[in-house]
Amino acid sequence: MNTLTILVVDDDPVIRRLLEQRLTKENHTVLLAEDGYKAEKIIETTPIDVILTDLMMPGEIGGIEVLEIAKNKNQQIEVILITAHSSVDTAVEAMKKGAADYLEKPLNFTELFLRLQKISNMLSLLRSAEDLRQAMDVTESTAGETIQNLEITAGELQEKLDAVEAILSNDTIEAYSRITSALNIIYK
Amino acid sequence: MLKITADELKTISQYIHDISGIYLDQSKSYLLETRLGPIAEELGCASFRALHDKAKRDSTKNIERRLIDAISTNETLFFRDNSPFELLKHKILPELIDLRSPASPRMKTHIKIWSSASSTGQELYSIAMTIRELLDGQLDRFNFKLLGTDISDSAVKQASYGKYNKFEIERGLPRQTLQKHFTLFGDSWKIKDEIRSMVNFRKLNLMLPFTGLGKFDIIFCRNVAIYFTLQDRKKLFNKLAASLADDGYLIIGSTESLTGICPLFVPKRHLRAIFYQKKN
Ligand SMILES: C[S@@+](CC[C@H](N)C(=O)[O-])C[C@H]1O[C@@H](n2cnc3c(N)ncnc32)[C@H](O)[C@@H]1O
Repeated sequence: MNTLTILVVDDDPVIRRLLEQRLTKENHTVLLAEDGYKAEKIIETTPIDVILTDLMMPGEIGGIEVLEIAKNKNQQIEVILITAHSSVDTAVEAMKKGAADYLEKPLNFTELFLRLQKISNMLSLLRSAEDLRQAMDVTESTAGETIQNLEITAGELQEKLDAVEAILSNDTIEAYSRITSALNIIYK
Repeated sequence: MLKITADELKTISQYIHDISGIYLDQSKSYLLETRLGPIAEELGCASFRALHDKAKRDSTKNIERRLIDAISTNETLFFRDNSPFELLKHKILPELIDLRSPASPRMKTHIKIWSSASSTGQELYSIAMTIRELLDGQLDRFNFKLLGTDISDSAVKQASYGKYNKFEIERGLPRQTLQKHFTLFGDSWKIKDEIRSMVNFRKLNLMLPFTGLGKFDIIFCRNVAIYFTLQDRKKLFNKLAASLADDGYLIIGSTESLTGICPLFVPKRHLRAIFYQKKN
């Protein structure tokens, strides 16, 4: 599995530490923020694949706002919300705004790892599609150049051939000078 | 997944060729299985033979349409290969405008352009944007007819709608052009009405006669003939020659060639781009 850079946003230090331990063990790179403000700073400066954020946090920036900031910065960042059972409605609302998923507390790690696996698979698919496109574009432009040069050369040769044919079949001109003119066209 | 037998492969590829001109050689069984298999299953067909028979019996041609949508490759991007659009801007359009300008300044200059395998519309919209950038502010002196056609219904539909997701947008469109000619629409982008209103899209099979289209000043026929047999390519470019004004311009794909295919056209070079004109 590809390793992801994951930003964990939660005001509860116990949850932060727990997530850090479990995710690091899975070889992910983990960044921590204890509130929306810290999260915003990190999102602005660091490339991130996934954000795991608590929905309800003290201050003006809650999970929904973290989601909006992230999507504004880069549509590709996937956001998973962590919610108390009572706020499922808000979480569903967040899905409409582009959240990848939501998980209810208490966290079920098997479920979390499954979601991350899916995201990581999708990211690697996207990357190989992008690589293929790059490769195709390069192939298309180099092949194009070669073919277009050949096309022009073939066109010029055809023109010469037509002219030679016209000269050689012109029986108002004496044979020897037809041949010299034809040779002249060929070696011009 | 539904497997295709050697016999079915022959029948189905013959059928695809008959309805679209697309030629699939015997190595394409995987392509047929992955692209047509799901349709067979959805329609309750236990085999590709059954799918073929059902499609042929279907008088609404709905199945035929779905098979064409599934088998055609709609791969395209905005300003693909770039050089044809530079050519348009710096050579073809200025030349044509000179040639077509009417004697009376009260009359408009008429120019007809055809994107003959327009797929999801990126090619024709790139042409329209090029025209707008070149003739900004003086477009009312012109009457541009921009037509896009394709055999795939779903491609024509998306082209007409003019909406593209971020992956389609990220390919080929400079940020500046995006902001100038598109508006954000949910998580997609929609082409602005001023560009949309310059173009028309409709369904057309290049293997059939081109009736009622008239003559064009510029024809784009890029990256579609590659799916046809040599014989079908010859027929196609002969028909295109008949649909092109005598002093008109033909643009083909950057990796395509007309050598040995259509002697009616001569290749010409302008800077790094190639275009074709009819031999006089
Ligand atoms: C690869 S796309 C090329 C799009 C665009 N011209 C470009 O170069 O980016 C090929 C298109 O040709 C269309 N096509 C295939 N067979 C066709 C036929 N017989 N008549 C018209 N269009 C056809 C396909 O539906 C597809 O959209």
